Amino acid sequence: MNARNLFLAGLLSATALGGTGAYAQDAAAACAGEEVTLRILRTPGNYPYPAPMEAWQKENPCVNFEINEIPFAQLADTISVQAASSNPPDILVYDGPNTRSYAAAGILLPITKYLPEGWDEDILPATKAEHSYEGEVYSPGIEQTTVAMYYNKMLVEAAGIKPPQTLDEAWTWPQALEAFKACQQGPAGAPTVWGLGPTRFGNGQPGLVYQDLIYQRSAGDPKADPDSSAYKTFWALSPDGNSVEGYLNTPEAIEALTFYQSLFNAEGVAPKVGIPNAFFDGKACFYIDTPAAGSALLKDPKIEWGITPIPYFKTPVVHTGSTTIGATARSKHPEIAAKFVVDMSWGEYAYMNVSQRGNLPTLKSLFPRFEVYGNYPMKVFIDQLQEWGQPRPPGPKFAQYDKLVTDALRAVAFGGDPAELMADAEKKVQRVLDR
Amino acid sequence: MPASNTLSAASATGSIQPKTGTRKPATRRQKRDWMFAAGFLAPFMILLLVFQYLPLLVMARNSVYDYSLLNPAAAKFVGLRNFTDMIEYEDAAISFGVTFLFALGVVLLVIPVAFALALFLNSKLPARGLVRTVIMLPVVTSSVVVAIMWSFLLDPSNGLINGVLNIAGIGNQPFLTSTDQALPALVAMTLWQQVGFGAILFLAGLQGLPVELTEAARIDGATRRQVLWNVTIPLLSRTTLFVVVIMTVFSLQAFAPAFLMTQGGPQESTNLIVYHIYNSAFIMQQAGYASALSVVLLLVVLAISMAQMALLRSRWNY
Repeated sequence: MNARNLFLAGLLSATALGGTGAYAQDAAAACAGEEVTLRILRTPGNYPYPAPMEAWQKENPCVNFEINEIPFAQLADTISVQAASSNPPDILVYDGPNTRSYAAAGILLPITKYLPEGWDEDILPATKAEHSYEGEVYSPGIEQTTVAMYYNKMLVEAAGIKPPQTLDEAWTWPQALEAFKACQQGPAGAPTVWGLGPTRFGNGQPGLVYQDLIYQRSAGDPKADPDSSAYKTFWALSPDGNSVEGYLNTPEAIEALTFYQSLFNAEGVAPKVGIPNAFFDGKACFYIDTPAAGSALLKDPKIEWGITPIPYFKTPVVHTGSTTIGATARSKHPEIAAKFVVDMSWGEYAYMNVSQRGNLPTLKSLFPRFEVYGNYPMKVFIDQLQEWGQPRPPGPKFAQYDKLVTDALRAVAFGGDPAELMADAEKKVQRVLDR
Repeated sequence: MPASNTLSAASATGSIQPKTGTRKPATRRQKRDWMFAAGFLAPFMILLLVFQYLPLLVMARNSVYDYSLLNPAAAKFVGLRNFTDMIEYEDAAISFGVTFLFALGVVLLVIPVAFALALFLNSKLPARGLVRTVIMLPVVTSSVVVAIMWSFLLDPSNGLINGVLNIAGIGNQPFLTSTDQALPALVAMTLWQQVGFGAILFLAGLQGLPVELTEAARIDGATRRQVLWNVTIPLLSRTTLFVVVIMTVFSLQAFAPAFLMTQGGPQESTNLIVYHIYNSAFIMQQAGYASALSVVLLLVVLAISMAQMALLRSRWNY
């Protein structure tokens, strides 16, 4: 680089730095008091989104943001390292079922006293239950998700199948299996078009608690005698979160899991490993996913599609939960962090955040503003959430429960003995709960 | 000439003077050389102490505590409970067992295959350059890329390997979803990835062998096979020891295959010990137990390496 180029490069750099300084000066000029920087740890493409943050900053000009983004697969590891450090983030965006773990560990700040009037009546009960611990609310929640069963209209109609569109007509799992078999193209276990496509979560393998624990839970009955196996099968963890023995390895659960196993083995209608975009590429007739998939298809309709409620054995059930937002207990600015967290999940800011990705809001008052959820097919999600929604078995050791039960369910899908695996899972989870 | 070089040269010519009872006082030049040596070594030694030995001490201390990474301030002293838990519960025994099987499989396969490749590369046969490139490519490829590629290859429904087996009239194999086949599949993948490294080490050893020994054996009437068995392989014992130790340590430290391909499953059949340690610390939030597992792993690796060095000690020199 010659001297002239070097001079021009230096001039350009100085101009750029000067511009940055001017921006900072403008922001500082609007701030009358002490400037505060809130450090946010979130996953890429997640809320809080730029538009509501900028709007909030206009009302709170002394607050700046420093954002650190971590892929979802590494989020829990990162939180466990950063939260205990000497300089933890002020705001965490994390997986909702971990609320109790983080609350019990003293990571999250209780925000009950910051919640606006009317929040209790407006929030979905499942969201409040998931984000509360020992009488305190630790996260207001912003969006809510659940899963339903998408289908490829062309493939399904070609097979002469008409999936139900309302909850009262929902299939049972054996009925759904008949539909998978009728629609599947090619030999069982290695077809060209699968009856039931693989999940897009994780590495695409079956077994995730969020999606697959509902098989056995739906074989239970929440209205049965609390000492009965049917009752315990439905809840999959004791109400106080301290015991799992007799909740996973029940006759009802084993029967449901034997059916679940057959999907991947004897019937061969679902793959054991992930196939990227299988449903969107027309390689699967049915597919289980959150409203995010529907929102993406509405924007870019690659295929003709519909939604049918999640099938069940005895009691329809779907898991709720999403990523959520919380303030850290050791934040250097707890008041401002709590105010930001609550503001982002209430009123217009909540609407701005939820509408960005297309999942469901956690506030009932926002439902009418999302017209797409007022009609079929997306209405199925709202109906399921309100009628069938249950949080994943909550407790301060959820992350450990999730890992151990996922491993057991995956081993069942791969052909292991359901009773043996569930007994082993109970033993391992109980060891964690007792520790 | 610096003092160290002088010493090396003296050692090489066998002219080291016998030690006397009194040591001569160091000259100014020697002192200056020592200071230079210490100055050059200091940055590395400080890094080694801070990032290797200090964490080992912290790990040893943590192994007698019960705590979660989420709340380390609430750590409880539990004495040897983390170690007794390894005996009371099956997970540690299963994980160590799986890891030893994995290491055994890798070492037993890598050594002969790498040696055979090295013999080929040391010969004057055609396409040696191409083979060198081909076998070294997996070594320099990221473990993540290798794991994802092999996951596709080993797909139980539509994987390439099953496609080849189908052509040969063999039905689809479950591979990574089978408790019987998952570990052998990981061994095969590791063999493919590491064999190039082993071959390069053996090749260096072969090229360092004195030609006159093999020529003398040939003049005495030994066949090529006899030369290989009675001259080349014994003389390569130091290289073999090095490859065995390196491959054993690599295998005992393997993490990526279990983390990326199987998550330790199905049914813990691929729950390699380093993945188990990660899982115990970060998912199960039992950091004290993970530290105890790490202490045991450290001792096991040291013991195995020492045993290998004792058993495979070189009996020939050149």
